[in-house]
Amino acid sequence: MTVSTDAVRDKGPRSLARARRRRAVSGFWHQYRTHRAGLAGLVVLGLIALLALTAPVLVGAESQSVTGATGGPLESPSAEFPLGTDQFGRSLLALLLWGTRVSLTVGLLAAFLSVAIGTLVGITAGHFKGWYGTVIMRITDWFLVMPTLVLAIALATVLSRSVWTTILAIGVTTWPTTARLVRAQTLSVESRPYIERSKALGGGHGHIMSRHVLPNVMPLVLSQTTLVISTAILTEATLAFLGLGDPTIVSWGGLLQDAREAGAVSSGNWWYLAPPGLAIAVVALAFTLCGRTIESVLNPKLGVTR
Amino acid sequence: MSTDSTPALLKSAPGVDSARTDGPAPAGPSARGPRSRSTTAYLRYAAGKLAGAAISLFAVLVTSFFLFRLIPGDPVKQMTGGRQVSTEQIAAMRREFGLDLPLWQQFTEYCGKALTGDFGTSYQFRAPVMDKISEALPATLLLTGTAFVIYTVIGIWLGARSAWRNGSFGDRFNTAFALTLYSVPSFWLGLLLIITLSVGIGPIPGIFPTGGMESGDASGFGYVLDVAHHLVLPVVTLVAVEYARTLLVMRSSLLDEMGSDYLTTARAKGLRDDLVRRRHAVPNAMLPTVTLLFVNLGNTVAGAILVETVFSWPGLGGLFYQALSVPDLPLVQALFFVFAAAVILMNTLADVIYPLLDPRVGR
Amino acid sequence: MVTRVPPRSPRPRRGVRFLLTSGAAALALAAGSVVPGNPLAPAPQEAQADDGDKTTLTVAVAQSVDSLSPFLAQRLISTSIHRLMYDYLTNYDAKDNQAIPALATEWKPSADKLTWTYTIRSDSKWSDGRKATAEDAAWTFNKMMTDEAAATSNGSFVGNFKKVTAPTPERLVIELKEPQATMAALDVPIVPRHVWEKVGDFSKFNNDQKFPVVGNGPFILTEYKVDSYVKLKANKDFWRGSPKFDEIVFRYYKDQDAAVAALRKGEVSFVAGSPSLTPAQSASLKTAENIKVNDAPGRRFYALATNPGARTKDGTRFGDGHPALLDQRVRQALFMAVDRRTIIDRVFQGHAVEGEGYIPPRFKEYFWTPSAGQKLSYDPAKAAALLDEAGYRKNGAGKRVGKDGKPLDLRILCHATDPNDKAIGKYLQEWWGDLGIGLKVNCLDNVSDPWYAGEYDLAFDGWSVNPDPDFVLSIHTCAALPAKPKESAATDNFICDKQYDELYAKQLAEYDPAKRADLVKQMESRLYDTGYMNVMAYPNAVEAYRTDQIKSITTMPSAAGNIYGQDGYWSWWSAVPAAGASSGSSDEGGSSTGVLIGIGVAVVVLAGGGLLFAMRRRSTAEDRE
Repeated sequence: MTVSTDAVRDKGPRSLARARRRRAVSGFWHQYRTHRAGLAGLVVLGLIALLALTAPVLVGAESQSVTGATGGPLESPSAEFPLGTDQFGRSLLALLLWGTRVSLTVGLLAAFLSVAIGTLVGITAGHFKGWYGTVIMRITDWFLVMPTLVLAIALATVLSRSVWTTILAIGVTTWPTTARLVRAQTLSVESRPYIERSKALGGGHGHIMSRHVLPNVMPLVLSQTTLVISTAILTEATLAFLGLGDPTIVSWGGLLQDAREAGAVSSGNWWYLAPPGLAIAVVALAFTLCGRTIESVLNPKLGVTR
Repeated sequence: MSTDSTPALLKSAPGVDSARTDGPAPAGPSARGPRSRSTTAYLRYAAGKLAGAAISLFAVLVTSFFLFRLIPGDPVKQMTGGRQVSTEQIAAMRREFGLDLPLWQQFTEYCGKALTGDFGTSYQFRAPVMDKISEALPATLLLTGTAFVIYTVIGIWLGARSAWRNGSFGDRFNTAFALTLYSVPSFWLGLLLIITLSVGIGPIPGIFPTGGMESGDASGFGYVLDVAHHLVLPVVTLVAVEYARTLLVMRSSLLDEMGSDYLTTARAKGLRDDLVRRRHAVPNAMLPTVTLLFVNLGNTVAGAILVETVFSWPGLGGLFYQALSVPDLPLVQALFFVFAAAVILMNTLADVIYPLLDPRVGR
Repeated sequence: MVTRVPPRSPRPRRGVRFLLTSGAAALALAAGSVVPGNPLAPAPQEAQADDGDKTTLTVAVAQSVDSLSPFLAQRLISTSIHRLMYDYLTNYDAKDNQAIPALATEWKPSADKLTWTYTIRSDSKWSDGRKATAEDAAWTFNKMMTDEAAATSNGSFVGNFKKVTAPTPERLVIELKEPQATMAALDVPIVPRHVWEKVGDFSKFNNDQKFPVVGNGPFILTEYKVDSYVKLKANKDFWRGSPKFDEIVFRYYKDQDAAVAALRKGEVSFVAGSPSLTPAQSASLKTAENIKVNDAPGRRFYALATNPGARTKDGTRFGDGHPALLDQRVRQALFMAVDRRTIIDRVFQGHAVEGEGYIPPRFKEYFWTPSAGQKLSYDPAKAAALLDEAGYRKNGAGKRVGKDGKPLDLRILCHATDPNDKAIGKYLQEWWGDLGIGLKVNCLDNVSDPWYAGEYDLAFDGWSVNPDPDFVLSIHTCAALPAKPKESAATDNFICDKQYDELYAKQLAEYDPAKRADLVKQMESRLYDTGYMNVMAYPNAVEAYRTDQIKSITTMPSAAGNIYGQDGYWSWWSAVPAAGASSGSSDEGGSSTGVLIGIGVAVVVLAGGGLLFAMRRRSTAEDRE
């Protein structure tokens, strides 16, 4: 999309394409930098990712052990436990850090699944325009009108309780939006002359879809992924809160559910309830900001053409 | 905060609204709508939309039947657990619930009855499913309806202001604030509101009820006030997490309008800025927003499940959740159908009405 | 009453009634909040200022009413309300759980133990003015014996009945097929024949259309709004005397925290929690003004059940329970590695009593403790030795493997809606992990399917025990096993033990209370040794009420007991309003100010939007000028 057209140098097509892409990326970054909100989101995400990766070093696996817990139940914040303790006497700060790993993993994987399905459906529906495209888009439209939360709850109930169930439930209920966007983009890419040329040169369906269409929808897919992650993290928390998550795993939504089950709300133990909720909000917001920025950089006209 | 971005949220929102904003084609049904001036064309268009909705409804009916049959747990076992029952009694119960028939026959029976509005008898409450739903429906409609009106008004108003002062501090603050609330889990916000405004913290008195829809001891006008009092916190919660969508759509549609030639012309004529805004830009920008709102309404009904749980609101959400764990198949199926039907109907309504509203689609 | 049992619904069987069905528990939990796993206790709320002197006791509840028909109702909330609406033949003394007169003033068996004669009191009247007679009782039992639909909730009580007649209005005669020791524990609401004989289909009639509902209990049901409230007014003509509160309201709070918050504010007078308040809630309420926390011995046991190899009555094996658990040494070793002290201290935070025998200490006459020799105390070293002896030795990686070289990996079924299950699951994983045993905690909303199918190794189990323990004992007999694999049945854990069954038959036919209690204790001893049902704790009932609304209230047992979910109507019937509760106490003033402020805010919020539009229109109008 942001491909520069003046890359006429005497090189092979591969390296030409590589150079073009490198240039696109640096141009993209150049523009991205100008969006303060997007930068802020990125910085926050970087920090959180760092915390998630270093959690085992920072707090150690034994901080999740109930038999080895050193604190009393539901202690308020202190020097030893900066965020207080849970009902088993474990440090909430340590649990919050561990929860980052699960919440981010679920968010990323679910978003990846959702976008992967959406992209596959979108590209094929845009490429094969006949009855296949029609049928598949009808199915997409139909998924689009299903109440997402209700469907996700239903799926989480039907399947056994695990992180994978959560990922699956989110993934298979949120893909249709991506599918529609990708299909539209595919249609516009395929109407360009070079696709005609490629076809004339004998490029098969697979070649066109993977070599020409896919690279062109990738930026869209990227921004879409970022946005879906924030939805996925919120949905994960929601499912865990409704008691549909895996209770043996520490996640932010699970912490909120634990807090609620322990009666933290009415006992005024705000330090149990507030941090996981804030963490969810911050990460969801950061992903949303990044997603919006990517989107506006890639398609500055979006705001005006719609 | 970038000022020219689109309502990206709409696409990722866990809702259906994206139907209206996707694709490079101009958003809105107008793109697919009739461009012809003829009424016949419109009627054909509307009929097509209605037929599509009918197909979708039927598909939902089918899904509701099969999806929930996957839930582990045999309702008859669940209901006969812990007591001595003969095989004959179990067979009798299966007959009573129609579970002894082959699946396809259960299915045709279900569809046939559903067409007449009969979704069977709830296993756990031993009452017609439609009775249980109509008991809970008013509460849900009251909650979501009130929230809908308020977030629409706030969203449109703030969205318009934001767009008009595009890039100003106010705009950035507005958008940032809305996005922040949008990122907050609604149940968490609800719990915090209960702690602060219902229970009371420090100097803040707990002035709102902690849950439920009524105290049960008021009548007449007092009853209305009582319900309104119970309504405040759940509505505030829903509005807080929902208004961002309206705001962002309104903002971007207005930005879109503001690029139009006719506004430049209007200004050139010497009309005052805010007059241009009110008389020309806003009404036009409202169109896509309003249609989006229809869709949102349908979706808010399903989205209220969480808020209903947190505030003990006696609505459909709580009923659905209870029904799932038995599993009370007739009730679950019917509720699922109701939630999906709400979205489909609102979508269709938006599609059908849009061309009538849009002055640019001449008729 | 919360049963942790498999999702089956406990039904009352002969003597014991299971108050909460597990299904209901699951639902309630699912609802997230207040399901009364336990008793709901009513909280007296006082009535509001506008009514002058009417006193109202408000109880926060979470569980939805399944049906108001006594023939269909199975959930604790519904049966608790029926206790208030209808009199039963007998009641239980609040002091010591002994059967005492209610609608029947006396009862006695014939010499052959097969005929029981009840004398019906002459001073009990239905609320429509007619007299309650033996006719009504006979009709109620006969209906349950002849109409399958009417037997839905209490059918098990009449399973052994041959014939029920009412020779005179004061005399009820029940003939039995077999002797039955639980005839003073028939927890069946007696309904007015003249009202109920007009009902057509008992499977569909929910008794919630015509108010007030005709009854003869201490309260009369006057209003019901689904998931909002249930209202009852005092029956001034009740033969034992009128209740002190004029009205009792069960109000819905699906979220337990919301219910506790409502108690703090005085919106409700009583909160029971589901199944009880959490340690954190009780700790914070203890320091609150005008609130009393009732931390009473519970009626429930909380156990670790091991799959003894699921099978049918005729011995057909099914399910996939781990074969290692067929070895008594393995079962006992597992339990010996469970530190019950830590569970009480950490998970229940002191709100429970360490487990011993099968029946909780609250039922003194049946409470049994293991002798020093047979007690399976916490002793990981001994547990390890037992496992070695049974052939499960640690390999190089520290995992215990059987003779076939397969590691000892177990699964435990847990109720996803029960925080204690999940918490203890975490401890078990670590304790047994140290021992070299792997554990997968399998938490489900609905555990009944794997449970009935015998597809589990261990499970968290628990039942509420009634004053008459017959039911909780009966669920471990061979007779309770399913007829066919995977069918639902009365059995709790597929236990079938000859010695236990013989004792069970003896106690059921034993009409001498002391001798029967001795037999019951022998059964408990046998059960303990098998290692199939390892009682970890007896959770307390933790409830709270406002002392500025309720001056006094009777617990059951009265010395130290629960308020919500009693076997009887004592708590609500006996509750005395606090002075000033009815006449606009300071609280009231506070809350009505709150209401006004709240309404004000609501109006402002609602008006906001309209105002904005109005302003905008006005300025447009100005522009036009």
